[in-house]
Amino acid sequence: MRTMTPKCKRHSSMILKSCKLHKFVLAYTRGANNSGAGGLGCEILKNLALSGFKDIHVIDMDTIDVSNLNRQFLFRASDVGKPKATVAASFVMSRVKDVTITPYYGAIQDKDQEYYMQFKLVICGLDSVEARRWINATLVDMVDIDNPESLKPLIDGGTEGFKGQSRVILPTLTSCYECSLDMLTPQTAVPLCTLATIPRQPAHCVEWASILEWPRVFEDKKLDNDDPEHVQWIYEQALHRAQEFNISGVTYSLTQGVIKNIIPAIASTNAIIAASCCNEALKIATGANPYLNNYMMYIGNEGVYTHTFEHEKKDDCPVCGNLATDFAVDPEWTLEEFIDRLKEQPEVQIKKPTLVTERRRLYYQGPPQLNEQTRPNLEKKMRDLVDNREEIAITDPGLPFSLRLNVIFS
Amino acid sequence: MASSPPSGSPSSKEKKYDRQLRLWGANGQNRLERAHIALFGATATGCEVLKNLILPSIGRFTVIDDKLVEQADLGVNFFLDQDSLGKPRAERAAALLGELNPDVAGGFRIDNLESILSNTPGLLDPRTTEFTHLLLMSPIPTPLLLQLPAEIPIFFVHSLGFITSLRIYAPTHTIIEIHPDSLVDLRLFNPWPELSEFALEKTSTLDVPESEGGMGDHEHGHIPYVLLLLKYLEDWKQSHQGHLPGSYSEKTLFKSMIMDRMRTGVPGGIEENYVEAVNAVMGDLRTAELSSGTKEVLNDPECQSITSQTDEFWIIARAVKDFAGSNNALLPLSGAMPDMKAESRGYVALQNLYRAKAYSDAAAVERIVRDYMNRVQHPKRNQIDRDAIQLFCRHSNFLRRLNYRSIADEFSNSNEQHKGVVLGALGDWDVESSLIHHYIALRAYQEFYTGHGRAPGDTSHESCEEDYQEIRRIICEYLKGIGYPESLPERCEKVAKEIVRAGGGELHVTASLAGGIVAQEVIKIITRQYVPINNTVIFDGIGSRTQTFEL
Repeated sequence: MRTMTPKCKRHSSMILKSCKLHKFVLAYTRGANNSGAGGLGCEILKNLALSGFKDIHVIDMDTIDVSNLNRQFLFRASDVGKPKATVAASFVMSRVKDVTITPYYGAIQDKDQEYYMQFKLVICGLDSVEARRWINATLVDMVDIDNPESLKPLIDGGTEGFKGQSRVILPTLTSCYECSLDMLTPQTAVPLCTLATIPRQPAHCVEWASILEWPRVFEDKKLDNDDPEHVQWIYEQALHRAQEFNISGVTYSLTQGVIKNIIPAIASTNAIIAASCCNEALKIATGANPYLNNYMMYIGNEGVYTHTFEHEKKDDCPVCGNLATDFAVDPEWTLEEFIDRLKEQPEVQIKKPTLVTERRRLYYQGPPQLNEQTRPNLEKKMRDLVDNREEIAITDPGLPFSLRLNVIFS
Repeated sequence: MASSPPSGSPSSKEKKYDRQLRLWGANGQNRLERAHIALFGATATGCEVLKNLILPSIGRFTVIDDKLVEQADLGVNFFLDQDSLGKPRAERAAALLGELNPDVAGGFRIDNLESILSNTPGLLDPRTTEFTHLLLMSPIPTPLLLQLPAEIPIFFVHSLGFITSLRIYAPTHTIIEIHPDSLVDLRLFNPWPELSEFALEKTSTLDVPESEGGMGDHEHGHIPYVLLLLKYLEDWKQSHQGHLPGSYSEKTLFKSMIMDRMRTGVPGGIEENYVEAVNAVMGDLRTAELSSGTKEVLNDPECQSITSQTDEFWIIARAVKDFAGSNNALLPLSGAMPDMKAESRGYVALQNLYRAKAYSDAAAVERIVRDYMNRVQHPKRNQIDRDAIQLFCRHSNFLRRLNYRSIADEFSNSNEQHKGVVLGALGDWDVESSLIHHYIALRAYQEFYTGHGRAPGDTSHESCEEDYQEIRRIICEYLKGIGYPESLPERCEKVAKEIVRAGGGELHVTASLAGGIVAQEVIKIITRQYVPINNTVIFDGIGSRTQTFEL
């Protein structure tokens, strides 16, 4: 273990010398669900620049919104509408000497393995499960046991209100993002019949307006959650429906929260989690002190509580494990029911799966001929399609890998 | 805050602060915007704390510092730039921090704590000060900390190498909104007459088959589980000499009794409302009890004798106490009810029953408050805030009171409670992973600085080994003083070395992390929502862990 010398008061300059040859990538972006990730990104860029990292790439597909300004401190009101990556990079370069930050305005998925291979490590302040799964699977796939340089540590952070977590993933060596997917709270959807006939909560009224009423009224127009006119329409419909059923509590803010799945975000929590991520990056890069093994949760609602623990690698992880996962299946289910159950599994989380076994194509999302050919299978019972303990391979446009499930008839 | 336009769409301020208003609401935001925060020491850590407070829009800030910007500052502090070199740190930090949010008024003062206390004490005198909260960045000699007024909350922060600590001192801090996961209180063991009657009425033909003129399957499957439980509890009482199912085994029997009454000849073979009822048995069936936090508040001496000086919080607390006293020890009802399988109309009717009861309980509390205020001729007796009373009542089983030990007591060597905490931590079974050693080493750092006027291991001083020996001596003396019987713990030595090695210097990531931790706590104190630490939290960046102590 290397430690700091007592004479060095300006630690930053020392660290700077030891890592100026390294390149670092900071990936931060927004996907379908926003959870205030740009807030982590701003902090991470500042922290890396002031810790002596010299060459940083930043990826973000988002533009600046007025609701970012309460925490994304590299942006001002006049920046609203501009790409986050570009504005953040030039702000930090103007403030901190001798650092090069290369912005990319786009999705992390736009870049290939060759691109990611040039970096020393990757830090994520992502806000979507999908993007995290993608980068995780990509970095695991890049590992070549004969080339130690191909192993890129992945440091991941996330926040919600006064809580957050940071973790260090050494692809193939430690638990990966996919190994911990079951830690996410499953999305509990309200049954459509409740929305359609017996709403009880203000959120039921909002979901009725966005899920059922919007497509009915505007057949060809997609609901845009960022369009204030669309949100206003949903709000008014929801309010009207709430009045009809004597339900109180529908507000504009609630409407927005429900349809955009808004997660509260504040500067201070972002600061804690981003600094923790960068602290680990610093420890990995300099070898000064052991780095996090491998997960820290920070909970600030009631006092301050941290839980630091080793999340265990899963042998049957579809990304970094070697075994297929067992999945209990009722032989009487139709293939369609089976797919619906898959979608409900927190450790699976797929939207448009294509399923095959060694001996047959079960269901293809596309191309059209294959979809047409396999569509009748949806109605068939599982016992007529697969055997007990047979392996099904599942691919999904959201996943950069295929999932293997062992069918266990119950 | 500006009120929303009638269309319901948010004001520009609501848009900007949307993500935080979802945490602390307009109430918390108003308190934040009334705060004037003084930062003593424009260090990297201090600026990071302020950044995280300016962004969510505190009212004002003042940066107090008497140093000039040096090259070393630029390496760690994001809120000082090349152009700042040679200029006053206070002025430059205030300018660059001020850019973060045009809604916040910023200022600076080229000064330090020592000279303010001796030359312009009015700035910190509780009768004349403009500051509502003080952020104090180490190093500050201990005697100065002891001169600070007891009326203003202070946040004293160390940030050295990979280690950071925060000590809060505040006058008694009371909290109504701790934001628990749920405010639901169904009163299933103590239903009020209207609720019992309603349950009886809605379930009279529940167990009669449809073919015999009983309830239809659709209605049966949509009776809210709360009513099912109330109905079956009555049945249970009749066959158990009026007793309720209180023990685990009784509850298990009660669950199977409910399952037996479920209709299975329906589509799907089960009724969701019955499943919900069974699932609620273990959690929701209990006698209403006062939480320990609420007990502390209701038994606080402030509650006992109400005068014209008594703060409204304590008058309402006393009224709630009196209310419970004449209401079978039951607190005002929160009125919250979870979602459950039901028809819209049946659900809303039940919800209205809970809400009406909560409203009438709060009105009863308000009458008691009014009575007390009139009796003592309270200056605010004509401006009783009904919303505040309702809020209090809704959260009455989640109240908190924090009494902070003074810094003087922590630093006096005779405070038994302080000694007890430190000795307890040193004797704990998992002392090897405790951060108490970090506290002891930081305390020695504080004493070293107070005595020598410089940090141990400071670059300007050559003999680090001498400094380390001095720190070691201070630690041994402290441990002896609190009555620690054994020799210096190895982990204390290790952390002491780490601290000497840091030489009083900040690392940016640690500063940034401290900035986040401290700002969260400041926000909790200002908004009086969520629960701040009492009184010290330490973060160790090597093990990536925190620990809190009441020192």
